[in-house]
Amino acid sequence: MTATLDNGKKIFKDSKVFMPVPGRMGRGDKMGRGPYEKSGIIRDSALPPMRTITEKYDIPFPFEDVKERGKRVRKILAREMTINVELWYMPYGSRNDDDNNTLFRKFTKKVTIE
Amino acid sequence: MRGFTTMFFSLLLVGILTLAFFTPVLNAGIGESGTIAADAGKAKTVKELIEMYDSDSCAECHKEIYDQWKKSLHARSIFGPEESGRTAATFRTTLLNGLKKWKFSGVAGPEDVKVEHLRICTKCHLPQLEDATDEVASEIMNMIVNWAEEGDEKAEETIQALNINCLICHNRNAITHKWTDGYPQKGVVYGTKDGDHFSESMPEMRRSPIMQESILCGQCHGLGPNLELDNPTQCATLYGYYLWSYQAEGGRETCQECHMKKSKLGHNIQSYRSSAMREAALDFKVEVTGFQWRDGSKMVPLTEVVVEMTNKAGHAIPDG
Repeated sequence: MTATLDNGKKIFKDSKVFMPVPGRMGRGDKMGRGPYEKSGIIRDSALPPMRTITEKYDIPFPFEDVKERGKRVRKILAREMTINVELWYMPYGSRNDDDNNTLFRKFTKKVTIE
Repeated sequence: MRGFTTMFFSLLLVGILTLAFFTPVLNAGIGESGTIAADAGKAKTVKELIEMYDSDSCAECHKEIYDQWKKSLHARSIFGPEESGRTAATFRTTLLNGLKKWKFSGVAGPEDVKVEHLRICTKCHLPQLEDATDEVASEIMNMIVNWAEEGDEKAEETIQALNINCLICHNRNAITHKWTDGYPQKGVVYGTKDGDHFSESMPEMRRSPIMQESILCGQCHGLGPNLELDNPTQCATLYGYYLWSYQAEGGRETCQECHMKKSKLGHNIQSYRSSAMREAALDFKVEVTGFQWRDGSKMVPLTEVVVEMTNKAGHAIPDG
């Protein structure tokens, strides 16, 4: 997901991976990759069936604290930002795989404060 | 008299050897001798294996279903997506990074690959390889290497003809509990009803007790590590999630209900590549709120983003 200002500046970027992490040869703490070496699961962040997974973010608008007439005041530098959230399916785990990566869902919304 | 005796014993020996060569090794259950594989004997070439489970004639009467299936990955189960051949490429990686590197596998090159080696992939991608000799396993591996390294188009065509077709689901793998329900018999199409089937080679229809059950798909779509193998592999974990997550959470639908019926895809069984399946897979809700939080005497301008993802599939997304 990203947050972008009207001038195009990206002020926030984050991504999360949801997947079962297979163990390598059924031992230790390393992830296996090819099916021939995968055995077991060492961590599971896949989206589980019949349950809701919630991710929350607090993204600050840009501001600076300046001194005006002897007092420190907070000056908000931008009052609008556009939030983009995308959920991708990357079957082979690479971000650069246009043939296989599939966009599942996309959300865009502009947020304004007073 | 001595000449006659010698000839008699020679013929007897030839007979015994012939029987030993052509009679497949059968399991303990009753009726396995009536299966397609037992009747034909082990396929000794890829061509024989393709012919043993040839389903092309099904298209004569079931064209719509056949055409649906043709679009699915089941129709290219060891090749993979048409444009990339990703599955075949992974077979090759299994040879290069797995079998050849494992010091106790006994594999130095494609020519050493036997059924039990390839089984780490073909248990699911080509279950009928069990009905073929080791030479067929080696031939398949050679073809995959030739396709991957030399662009051999004929090999690619043959690899694509090895697949999960009508006869695999509607005959060979149509019964899981063979001592209870009997071994799938040659000449029988297993589906949802009993009766005559208007085909010379498959004249009978029989009801398979699992044709509409998830366990039919679970035979391949995985519980996790395949611990029955000498070197266990893990490709799919879908059926494991289905049993221990989806059903445990109260899910009651079957694989077939979502992937074939509700999706309206029929035998074009798909997953994330289909927009219908993607749409059905999950609810995705995002709420954004701009607000100013008061931190003591100062305001902190913030956007709160709440992303909610509810998986409506009968398994984790993704699996693996």
